[in-house]
Amino acid sequence: MFMVVVYGNWWEWNSIWLSPFFAAGVLAILWLVGVRNEKVYDLISVLSILISSIISTFALYYVLIRHEVIIAQTSWYWVTFLKIKVGAYLDGLGAIMSTIVSWLSFLIVAYSIEYMKKDWGVQRYFFFMSFFVGSMLLLVDASNLILMFIGWEGTGLASYALIGHWYTDEEKYWVGVPNRKALGLPMYFEPSNSGLRAMIFTRIGDIGFLIGITGLFFLAHYSMNLLSVYSSAGAWMGELASKGMLAAFLLIFTLGAISKSAQFPFHEWLVTAMTGPTPVSALIHAATMVKAGVYFVLRFAPIFFVGAVAASALAVSQTHEYFYILAGIAVTTVFIMATMAIVSNEFKLILAYSTAEYLGYMILAVAAGGLFVTTHNFHVMADAEVAGIAMLLAHAIFKAALFLIAGYALHVANSRFIDHMGNYSKYMKVTAVAMWLSGLSLAAIPPFSGFFGKELVLENVGKTGYLGLYLFAVFAVFFTAAYISRLIIRVFHEPPYIKNKESKHHLKEAPILMLAPYTVLALAAIVLGVLWIYTGKGLAIGMFETLGIKAFPVFNVAIDASTITITTLIIIDFIIIALLYYRRYNFMGLLERSSALRAIHTFLFDRWFINSGLYYLFLYPFMGLSWISNVINVAIDLFYHRVLVKAGELTSLGLRTFFRGRTDYLVAIYIAMVSIVMLLIYFGW
Amino acid sequence: MMLSFPYLWLSFLLPLFLGIIAWGLGRYEKAVKALIDISAISLLIPLVLVLYYYATGQIYKGIVDPLSINLVKYKIGTFYFAVDGLSAPIVIGISIVTAFVAFYGIKYMKNRIEELKKEKVSAPNLGAYTFLYNLFAVTMLGIAYSTNLIEFYIFLEGTLASSFLLIAYYGYGNRKRYSLLYFVWTHIGAVILLTGILYLGYVIGSFNYMTLSNGVLSPVGSLQAKLGEAAVAIALLMTIGLFVKMAIFGVHMWAPYTYAESPTPISALLSSNLTGLAGYALARFVFQYFPSIMLSWRPILLGIAFLTLIYGGLLAVRQADFKRFLAYSGISQMGYMLLGLSTLTSYGIAGAMLIYLSHAIGKAILFMVSGVFITELGNLRNIKKMGGLAKMYPFTAALALFGFMNLSGIPPTIGMWSEILIVMGVVKSVALSSLGGLIGFTFLLIVSLTITATYSFVMMRRVFYGQMRGEVKEHEKIDGFKLSMLAIAVFGFVFFLYINPLMNGLNHSAISFIISFLGR
Repeated sequence: MFMVVVYGNWWEWNSIWLSPFFAAGVLAILWLVGVRNEKVYDLISVLSILISSIISTFALYYVLIRHEVIIAQTSWYWVTFLKIKVGAYLDGLGAIMSTIVSWLSFLIVAYSIEYMKKDWGVQRYFFFMSFFVGSMLLLVDASNLILMFIGWEGTGLASYALIGHWYTDEEKYWVGVPNRKALGLPMYFEPSNSGLRAMIFTRIGDIGFLIGITGLFFLAHYSMNLLSVYSSAGAWMGELASKGMLAAFLLIFTLGAISKSAQFPFHEWLVTAMTGPTPVSALIHAATMVKAGVYFVLRFAPIFFVGAVAASALAVSQTHEYFYILAGIAVTTVFIMATMAIVSNEFKLILAYSTAEYLGYMILAVAAGGLFVTTHNFHVMADAEVAGIAMLLAHAIFKAALFLIAGYALHVANSRFIDHMGNYSKYMKVTAVAMWLSGLSLAAIPPFSGFFGKELVLENVGKTGYLGLYLFAVFAVFFTAAYISRLIIRVFHEPPYIKNKESKHHLKEAPILMLAPYTVLALAAIVLGVLWIYTGKGLAIGMFETLGIKAFPVFNVAIDASTITITTLIIIDFIIIALLYYRRYNFMGLLERSSALRAIHTFLFDRWFINSGLYYLFLYPFMGLSWISNVINVAIDLFYHRVLVKAGELTSLGLRTFFRGRTDYLVAIYIAMVSIVMLLIYFGW
Repeated sequence: MMLSFPYLWLSFLLPLFLGIIAWGLGRYEKAVKALIDISAISLLIPLVLVLYYYATGQIYKGIVDPLSINLVKYKIGTFYFAVDGLSAPIVIGISIVTAFVAFYGIKYMKNRIEELKKEKVSAPNLGAYTFLYNLFAVTMLGIAYSTNLIEFYIFLEGTLASSFLLIAYYGYGNRKRYSLLYFVWTHIGAVILLTGILYLGYVIGSFNYMTLSNGVLSPVGSLQAKLGEAAVAIALLMTIGLFVKMAIFGVHMWAPYTYAESPTPISALLSSNLTGLAGYALARFVFQYFPSIMLSWRPILLGIAFLTLIYGGLLAVRQADFKRFLAYSGISQMGYMLLGLSTLTSYGIAGAMLIYLSHAIGKAILFMVSGVFITELGNLRNIKKMGGLAKMYPFTAALALFGFMNLSGIPPTIGMWSEILIVMGVVKSVALSSLGGLIGFTFLLIVSLTITATYSFVMMRRVFYGQMRGEVKEHEKIDGFKLSMLAIAVFGFVFFLYINPLMNGLNHSAISFIISFLGR
């Protein structure tokens, strides 16, 4: 198999991301001139995204079938000083990501038409949705790191605005149990607060990312083009490694990915981001934006791998160190998020924990491949890439479906707590089927696509030989099956724990515009799994045609003893939990009896106290510093405007008493000064 | 390139002339309003000129007005009016902000003068305000146009006199005290600068920092060798004088009082345009005269810059008065400007000049937003009484968000480019040298930029989100008053897209001279 590089017309391929941006611009102008008709907004938004989807699909066709890599850049520089050309680089990874993002966006924005109907901020909603899709597509398609950064920041801005969409902060839009506190700090978050948290948490990482980009500009011969960064990887990695800076530099560069993809300890922003409208959670905080970090790792891990091998033994060992730390962060996230999800009582929060966990799996898989940099084994890196993208694809689909179902479930129950939901399967058959399909995919049960994704990840982690990484990754799998089993049974097959709410609402099947998107996605979750030979092969071809991948990857799951054992245990685990809940086993009674269990429950429910810990560690010192600055400021103010003034006043008083009436002194001083000035002028000028 | 017609003098004199007429016609309100409109448009002339000469590519060599004042025989040098790549972003910033704030000021100042009447204070009428305002605006333009230290200083005093009177007549609170405080402080800065200037001119025999030879405007170059031992003293005097003007940590205390108590259009001009001019002056002549002294001071300058920007940010977040908050945010932004300058790389210095423009745009919008609440919601400035305003003021909220994005460098605003260039400057000059440097400066940059984002978005939340605290019954009306804010915001977006000429101009300007002198 060989690849052809095609240089496309720049605006043809870049219209993938230009189209939604253009739509956002049109919507902004329409808003300014006073158009408020909802239909206009959703139509323009949906159509612009459809255009992106179609062009992305063409790109995918070119890459997978015709084995072409598309480079579509302007011939001119957008910014000459920084050598930035506007352009798209669509290799396997770019085309696959672009297709996933655009089609999911299309489905979810279509769902939003119904979901956001008659909302008071619907115009703003569709503006930011379009802006988001444009930014996200720019992020995954960009041929230049600065363009990628623009997309990156754009998604952050849209995320901020959409998390805080209902900025009036009514209690029904909160996340967390009202008045609950952990270590003395509130554990409930208003939309406007959540938006702020998302902005600041991701901002921290973004600066690291920016430092990495700009560092690369100087290291990679004054270019931020993806291809030059790749082709000069050996040189710049060697240079950094010789100064002992490589691992630190790579970690700083990856900081943006870690914060964007909500990895420990940045996961806190994602959890509270659930205050946004549910389609936003589905699109931005499950299916696409949070995958930006994963995309980053998928994009750069092979480059780092190839560069380290080309550079030196020193670079290899420092790159290994980097991948090891990255894997450690990822597996920590996987484990702690899975444990939090089993006790949560909010539908969307469970899904949010699960999202952060799955993002951890994806990054873990790629980092595991990267660990083989010491053996120069390009095959394993390629396999790990496929594991990462397979997990990404599977997760994007089932998690989007689950969130869209959640949107309807919350709407019907008029509550975010699963205690208020129940017996949904009686009233909404299709939704229940969709829930089961996507839930089983999440639990990694064959033949769903989630199973293949997770198996590939575990295989790759197993291969590294780091038992710690592997065991924690496997533990989390069982927690995963448990929480999704609990969620499905409690919401769909059991009467609600707190009954009074149900009677108030008419439980019925969702309207078609909402039902269709998640049904399609749920079906995709199983179809892509059943046809894994094709799905997997497509992904493998795509990954093979990705920058820095030098071997054709394995995409089939090796069915060995560990696979069979783990899968069987998952199924047993799933069934046991399902039965316990179905039989209404009294877990709460268990908690009341044992104080140890209660403590564990609180620990998990309050998210390992990480939120409070972060506040005490960072926010409070920051506020203290601000307080100290204020003290200094007051002191400076007093010094200048009181002390100095007073001193001047007193001096003046003293002089006046001294000179009072003595004209001879004044005349003498005057004559002396004038003569000095005259002399200066005479001699100098 | 020598212009065929004295356009720069025209752009300087026309608003002044219109201002004088307005002063004379003070009693006829309609005529004064028309004159404000015309003078606002005439303040856009520099923008049009700069954009035109960007398009023709002539700005890179500098455009020079044919009228000049030759004072060589008095050992002073020649006063030209000129614009080159380095001053172009400054001219653009002044032009945009002064023009649209002039439109904005009509409603605001009418309101303010009536308010003062109710307090039984007879402030000069709108006509006199127009004269002072236009004088303030054109003297700032004069600073940017100058090519000579004495010329620079004359215009600097011009800005001081006009802005002092504006605050003294139309300010809030104890306006006499604050205007005097402002006058004394910035005058101390100006005099320290003047001492340095005179010392330098005395030794050299000329005050030029740009000269014209064969139609090409070029920097005078380093004077270190000629000045000998005096160089360090002069550099120190000039830097300290400009630091006071710039409100750098330690000598910043005048800024919060002044910005908070000035009438809002004047706060907007002071903060967006005037303080940054001191940063421009650093790049324009201090760096040019004393490149290697500056290089040896770099660690100290970097330290002061980080201190100022973090300190300003930390204080900004705890302010209860919207305008005081903006003042501290301005101090923090000047820290960024100094940070860019003190990296002594072409990226950092270019970034500092772009910070001037992006801060001018962002801060002008935000001051105007604060003015909206002062005018329309009965002098509402207390942030604790705000909250939930976005629902009734969606247009203003959107603009405020855009202003904050400019400050914290989020696309699609020009603020992103300044942020990127300044980070590049830091990375190039210090961060890539060693592991400690990398980690240390990464930490500092993360802290700084996160603090900026924090105070921006915290304020956004406290002012606009949540439940409404005050009683606001009506939705806002979009009139010329608010559209002038939109106009400034549009430029923030336009220059995000068309940043290329600005960066090219900066790269081909005196910066390249400084960098090549340092051999870096």
